[in-house]
Amino acid sequence: MFLQIRPRLSLLLLLLPVASFSGCAESDSQSGGGEAKPKVAYVTNGIASFWVIAEKGAMDGGKKFNADVNVLMPANGVEDQKRMCQDMLAQGIEGIAISPIDPDNQGDLLAEIAQHTKLITHDSDAPNSDRLCYIGVDNYTAGRMCGALVKEAMPEGGSVIIFVGRLGQANARLRRQGVIDELLDRDPDPTRYDEPGAGEIKGAKYSVLDTRTDGFDFGKAKANAQDAIAKYDDLGCMVGLFAYNPPLMLDAVREANKIGKIKIVAFDEEAASLQGIVDGDVYGTVVQNPYKYGYESVRVLAALARGDESVIPEGGFMDIPARQIRKDNVDEFWTELKRLTAVGLPAPAATDDEPVAEENGEEKTN
Amino acid sequence: MKKNLGILSILLVVFMATAFGSDSFFTPYNLFNLVERSSLYGIIGIGVAFVIITSGIDLSIGSLIGLVAVVFPYIVVDRQLSLGMGLLTILGLSLVVGIVHGLLITKLKLQPFVVTLCGLMIYRGLARWLVSDRTMGYGNESFASLKVLVGNVSQLPGCASLPGAKHVPVAFLILVSLGIVAAVFLNKTIYGRYLLALGRNEQAARFSGINTTKMIVLAYVICSLISGLGGLLFALDYGSIQPDSFGNFYELYAIAAAVLGGCSLRGGEGSVFGIILGAALMRLLMNSISMLGIDDQLEPTVIGFVILIGVVVDQLVKRIAAHRRAVLQARQASS
Repeated sequence: MFLQIRPRLSLLLLLLPVASFSGCAESDSQSGGGEAKPKVAYVTNGIASFWVIAEKGAMDGGKKFNADVNVLMPANGVEDQKRMCQDMLAQGIEGIAISPIDPDNQGDLLAEIAQHTKLITHDSDAPNSDRLCYIGVDNYTAGRMCGALVKEAMPEGGSVIIFVGRLGQANARLRRQGVIDELLDRDPDPTRYDEPGAGEIKGAKYSVLDTRTDGFDFGKAKANAQDAIAKYDDLGCMVGLFAYNPPLMLDAVREANKIGKIKIVAFDEEAASLQGIVDGDVYGTVVQNPYKYGYESVRVLAALARGDESVIPEGGFMDIPARQIRKDNVDEFWTELKRLTAVGLPAPAATDDEPVAEENGEEKTN
Repeated sequence: MKKNLGILSILLVVFMATAFGSDSFFTPYNLFNLVERSSLYGIIGIGVAFVIITSGIDLSIGSLIGLVAVVFPYIVVDRQLSLGMGLLTILGLSLVVGIVHGLLITKLKLQPFVVTLCGLMIYRGLARWLVSDRTMGYGNESFASLKVLVGNVSQLPGCASLPGAKHVPVAFLILVSLGIVAAVFLNKTIYGRYLLALGRNEQAARFSGINTTKMIVLAYVICSLISGLGGLLFALDYGSIQPDSFGNFYELYAIAAAVLGGCSLRGGEGSVFGIILGAALMRLLMNSISMLGIDDQLEPTVIGFVILIGVVVDQLVKRIAAHRRAVLQARQASS
């Protein structure tokens, strides 16, 4: 008796959610019906506002180039990224654009993707893989641009501390190295690496006191900034290399009443960082163009899925250059950003045509 | 087996619903991935079951996995010692961690929650400090011989020509072997019965002559050793180890698998087969969410709900069974 009841009860209770799962799937596939669209995936390296902008670009790209786009944001690092990609491959995805979390050690996964479908990288490259191209910024150069902002903010020289989520990622390492090399006026060499635990790095005018990581823990990121203010009396400038670092640094500096005394240089386009630039509390920021990462990735993948290989850029690298945002151009940049990330744009024309104009415009200016 | 019918039926329903809703689900490629993931999580689930059975808990599993995953390449690549030395080190490390946990809990009478919570923080910090937060990789040639552990059976020596071997993950064989050993140990040996007995009532077990201290230490040692093995396998599979996050929350997945599989957090109950099913159900749900195109952000919600439903069903069934038994006994007594 007992045995007969148990599965029946389980079935009854579980059929409800499971039935609704199947319902979701069916309604999705029905709504996507019609002409055959290539199915492509855009895989990020985590969840962040930066990627929300990229998602918007990818979705607009999907509309423009008639592709079904799956945007996947792994919450739990390498493991999630692997699982999501494998699940996409199992579904016969026709192209994957991925921002590999650790390109050097994810060779197996990248090889697996390349073996089954078209693989491109965005945001963070994996030059040793079989990826067809890389779409993104040169992180080392972007780091040097960030270092140049520090020099502008503190022309007389001084001490600098760097905050970053984690240094395991190639983009974080390269940005940090770019900042250090620029401050120390070294020749460009992206392969150089100053160990973070090796103590103060001293140059003629600037010295980098430390690099503090927080593992994406915002509480810790702010505590790091507060501790640095407490520890270094003569701290001249704080540099935050991940999007969420600068607003937390700004909070800490404000609470310590050291605005103006400690300069802040940011990376990425977090609203609080941009507001800080408007208010004059943040000197400037280096921004990438995540919208274009998403948009271009989908454009390339959709074309590749249709057999058009001419979209692969020469040398396998599509440079989406970083830009320096200071007080003089922050308003213009922010207005454009708000337009691109506006939620629920009703007119398809606005999303279908304008990114192309933006894309062309940028290619001309850069 | 009887005890696991509930979880088995949930697993089958989700499996069939996904197979029905997605053409891509029931393919050798996807099933291989699914079985491999389930196996890896099943292995650490079996480990934590040993401490849950003694009414303990181990919250440090994820951090220990992270530490083992970092220490191994640190020894082999950074220190350039042999693979054997690396393996010995992580074996020794897991062993020491288990013994220390067990002794703190039994000799100092500290609560398992507190001891292992401290472990969670200590091992994570050590892993990060040891390599200065550097990402550790398993792409080095030294690890090539071990990679077979996360490959398919056809890569094993002498198994290349076995039919279907390409579609069976080696991790699954490890899980099955470990599962059989664990099930035999728990159900067919006196020590396994001791563990179950002390989980139900430690005092009673002690008074009946069981050396409960030794048995509890043994449970934590088994848990840590299996976590160490899990750490090695996860690390080989993912290839890239971020010391600050690798293994985060794995203890919760392991505990959830054990609870779903019929382990009671009050101790004294647990079935190895159930734990394997519990681990498989969670991986299956994650896979189903991808395959059915359900919003990815809902993934933890769906898993949380299914675990809750599983536990509620289990509780209801137990109540009904107890009620029926009582009625039956009353009838027999009156007749």
